[in-house]
Amino acid sequence: MKKLIGLALAVLVASFAASTASAGPKVAASSQAVSCNGTLKIAIVTPLTGGAGFLGAEQASWAKYAVATLAKPLGLKIQLVLGDTPVEQGAAIAQTLAQKYVGDSKVMGVIGPATSGGAVASTKTYQQAGIAQISPSATSTQLTKAAPTLTGTPSFFRVVPGDYVQGPTDAHYMIDKLKAKKVVIIDFQEPYSVGLANAAQAVLKKAGVSVTRLSAPNTTTDYSAYVTKVPSDADIVFFPTQKPPDAQTFAQQLLEQGKKAKVFGSDGSNDSTAFKVPGSYVSNFAPDITGIAADKAIIAGWKKANPGKSVGSFGPPAYGATQVMMNAIKRACTAGHGSIKTKRDVLRQVKRVRINNWILGGTFRWSTKSNDPLNAKFYIFQIQPNGSYKLVG
Amino acid sequence: MTDSTPHGSHTPADGPAVGQDEWVARHGEHQLLRGGRLGSAEARLRLVPWWAWLILFLAVFSLLPVVESSGYVRRVAFDTVLYMLLALGLNIVVGWGGLLDLGYVALYGVGAYTYAFVASGQFGVHLPTLLAVLVTVVVGAFVGFLLGLPSRRLTGDYLAIVTLFFLQLFQTLMTNADNVFGHDLTGGPNGILNVDPFHLFGHDLAVQHQGVFAVSYFYVALAVFAVVFVALRFVNFSRTGRAWRSLREDPLAAEAMGMPVNRLKLLSFSFGAAVAALTGSLFAALNASVFPLTFYFILLIVIYTMVILGGSGSQAGVVLGALIVGPLLELLRDPGKARILFYAALVGGVLFAFRRSRTTAIVSVGTIVFGFVMHVLASAHSASWVAGEKAGGAAGAVAHWVVVPAHLASWIPPTTYIGLLTLALLLTLIDRRVRLVLLVPTLYLAAFVWENVMLASPETMRYIVLGVILIGLMILRPNGLLGERRVEII
Amino acid sequence: MDTFIQLTIDGLTLGSVYALIALGYTLVYGVLKLLNFAHGDVFMVGSFIGFGVLQLLGGTSNPIVPIWALIVLITLAAIVGCSVLGVAIERFAYRPLRDAPRIAPLISALGVSFFLENSMQLLFGAQPRNYDTFSLANGALYLRGIDIGQVRLPLLRIITIVVAFVMMFLLWFLVTRTRSGKAMRATSFDREAAAMMGINIDRVIVFTFVLGSALAGVAGVMFGLRVPTNVTIGFVAGLKGFTAAVIGGIGSIPGAMAGGLILGFAESYTQGYVSTKWSDLFVFLILIAFMIFRPQGLFGRADIRKV
Repeated sequence: MKKLIGLALAVLVASFAASTASAGPKVAASSQAVSCNGTLKIAIVTPLTGGAGFLGAEQASWAKYAVATLAKPLGLKIQLVLGDTPVEQGAAIAQTLAQKYVGDSKVMGVIGPATSGGAVASTKTYQQAGIAQISPSATSTQLTKAAPTLTGTPSFFRVVPGDYVQGPTDAHYMIDKLKAKKVVIIDFQEPYSVGLANAAQAVLKKAGVSVTRLSAPNTTTDYSAYVTKVPSDADIVFFPTQKPPDAQTFAQQLLEQGKKAKVFGSDGSNDSTAFKVPGSYVSNFAPDITGIAADKAIIAGWKKANPGKSVGSFGPPAYGATQVMMNAIKRACTAGHGSIKTKRDVLRQVKRVRINNWILGGTFRWSTKSNDPLNAKFYIFQIQPNGSYKLVG
Repeated sequence: MTDSTPHGSHTPADGPAVGQDEWVARHGEHQLLRGGRLGSAEARLRLVPWWAWLILFLAVFSLLPVVESSGYVRRVAFDTVLYMLLALGLNIVVGWGGLLDLGYVALYGVGAYTYAFVASGQFGVHLPTLLAVLVTVVVGAFVGFLLGLPSRRLTGDYLAIVTLFFLQLFQTLMTNADNVFGHDLTGGPNGILNVDPFHLFGHDLAVQHQGVFAVSYFYVALAVFAVVFVALRFVNFSRTGRAWRSLREDPLAAEAMGMPVNRLKLLSFSFGAAVAALTGSLFAALNASVFPLTFYFILLIVIYTMVILGGSGSQAGVVLGALIVGPLLELLRDPGKARILFYAALVGGVLFAFRRSRTTAIVSVGTIVFGFVMHVLASAHSASWVAGEKAGGAAGAVAHWVVVPAHLASWIPPTTYIGLLTLALLLTLIDRRVRLVLLVPTLYLAAFVWENVMLASPETMRYIVLGVILIGLMILRPNGLLGERRVEII
Repeated sequence: MDTFIQLTIDGLTLGSVYALIALGYTLVYGVLKLLNFAHGDVFMVGSFIGFGVLQLLGGTSNPIVPIWALIVLITLAAIVGCSVLGVAIERFAYRPLRDAPRIAPLISALGVSFFLENSMQLLFGAQPRNYDTFSLANGALYLRGIDIGQVRLPLLRIITIVVAFVMMFLLWFLVTRTRSGKAMRATSFDREAAAMMGINIDRVIVFTFVLGSALAGVAGVMFGLRVPTNVTIGFVAGLKGFTAAVIGGIGSIPGAMAGGLILGFAESYTQGYVSTKWSDLFVFLILIAFMIFRPQGLFGRADIRKV
């Protein structure tokens, strides 16, 4: 038996050696210029497995699509590298991946990290190595807003506005347009919903609205008891979930128990095929992209490459982020006359990128004050009797 | 590197001598069975003292950051050292004490959080490093003691479930205690950030230098590992260690012999927890943050795989297990390397199953030929059936053998995957000749599924590989690589 | 008062599903003395089978058969699928380990659970799947039902509760009134003696797994009909099912049913009256209290080991 263990070990070591022979080059190599004629890499850091795997899978599919359709017209050869940061493994995995991409001389930029936790954990590493991160979903306010608790770095960007826009926007809509007097807020004990819930609650309380705050474990599937706890005279239930089917079920159970409150979802709940109970509201950082004429071809192409999948709200920002990154790489190539000397060159170009026909509507510009989109606002939709989303605010 | 010494008895050809226990005698027989050059080499290797192996290992391992300047490799090496420490700790509870502790990862979390409590801005307490680590270890041992309290009245499965519930409890507590009567205790789902780094010899240990993982923490971790390994070695060979072994083999007999069984169980829980807490402090200091979800089910399975693979009960074994599983998980992330590993495993598996015999040749040649035939048939049918990804190198070469379609209809992955599973399981049921014949298409189907289904999601595939390893180990070789085969005396 | 009635209905619905899962645990533990960690994942697979067959039959927006036939068909499909899965797990992951130290099948079960969860994720993705029962007949299953005072008990919940109780009754009948059931009870009492009496132990064990997994399949479909399912529900469902089995007394069938209902009520009332945040914690503390002070549960026998 020991003989075979030795043999097995030898095989393992040999294959390890063989495979690391083609492993990422060492740090020293990244100081050499990289030619733009070769294949460059963009890494996407997002949870591909685990409890939040649905988010990452969607982002990855849209990023792949962006690379497949936009790289060639820009004259670039881009390879998308997938980095999985399951939420169960927390910050450590984000840092390990950061090390990996820092050491790889071909990785020009990172799409992500998708989670605020991952961003906080790894952005210092990227900053030191001069790698740009453009996140399509990390919405924690402190990542870009200059507060005493700023946790981001100048190399971190995001293409969607943060919690500091969405929470108050939703709250103000509830107060001003819906004249809500009693609101129930539910959070799911993870950073996204807790951040939004806190932001909305602060605004609501200030305006004198009566707020009931409930908190559901992330693994909750049956919300019946929560529905029971919704007062019969409550107007709105703020339900910032990242799983649209949960919002759907909650709204249906409200009807089942004869409660008059309407469900108000956030951008994570935005999915017209999964959440379509009439009378509910959803906020999103973009108008429904299926309604944007310029996006029709893009959506059709994506659907062809991903049969059976529906367009959610996590994917298109990833497409946009990848588009910005590739444009920045292109600019760096042009400025460097066909080669990129350091990854910092790409980082410098990111803020200069402008996109017309932005996938989320309109044109894309960076804000001059922070690494957020310019004039970011949230749009409120109401679900119509036929299930479609109508822009109302 | 095993913990046992060769049994000196020599059994006569017609069975064990009068007055000698047959099972004991057979055990000695096994040890003497291997002859030839390999056998005598092995016998000589066994004479090398354990500390020589340890020093050799440390020397080689500590050269790693010098030889390899890639921050990624260094980071993976550091993570592996942490895994080795965790495996050593779990070995105390499961391997030596024989208690199935499924809440072990919670104790790791207790250590990380305690360090974060006493060395970060959470409560404004910033203890000096050594004191913080000491406090962490003591608290960890205490919580381990508490966790072990139910073990006095519960055995086997019940204990496993209670400890699993403790894991869930810990998770729920840490995620929700950010608003206990208005006080933020644990940072909730956002965790605790800005945890102090280690401050040794007057310097704060830096995690990275210009974005590349620095080596200071690695050497600290390695030093801690060496100390823990040696300390546990001495504990294992002490009275307590022997008492643990008797407890593991037969608790009833141990109790009848007057061993303080309850105290021993609590002791093993506490020791394991202390090691886990120590590792937790290292983890928290390096990452400068702690999040609740890290300490959950997946990590538990990973550590268990390491311990079982290496051989529970054997310190060197669990370290070996960690050395194999840790980097393996990282390697499998990359489709290219995963591909190489898969084919190496396939070839190795065939060799292992059939050794050097005609069967090996038949199966290997048969599979290769079968593959080419299928490939020709597929490409004859339609070019798109073989026009899948052909990124040069190994992938390109293999794509001439395995059918890699350009577009995969959505019913293909589930059907082929389940089909492969069914075939593989059926193979264990049928008799030899039919099995050989069926083995060839099964191997090809495995390659097909690997290329088309599993390499598409390397992240999930890694965990599937772990699950298969765990099940396979328990059925085929429960004592792992270096562990000792246990016989449960009822 | 209305809140109380509503919470009771919630608890009853939850408890029915927990009871079905708990029964699977109890049956297998009684016969094999093994805690089948993979049971929760069999439940998860059952809910996915139900979803898949539902889509084949046109989905809830365009079903090609009447509603009652739809539900019956997907339940049957889940029963068959899960039984096959359960038998396969027993045959390949547990049977080789029947004489091994107790720790071995437990770890193998952990491996199976992990393998199942990740295989399902590999094949079907991590996003939640919604049966969308609301679309059937314009929400009739949600909006029509029996009125109790001011509170309405919707059809869907009635279906869930009734199906669960019918299954439990069938199980009770099978176990107490048929020969196979008698063989099962004999095996769980003393395996060696049963073997000596001429009972085919292997067949009995397979029968047990078929029963337990079938119940898990039904539970999965009942679950999926009301809430969205995803690949990660197995772990928590397994824990809760096990809690219910232990509270009721593991090895005892009425105990599992009672334990499931008790757990459902405990969860519902805690969420409703105490706090939603800490309800999980509360339930776990109940379990730990039971395990420490009354490990045999409510209906179980105190286990006296003969040396």
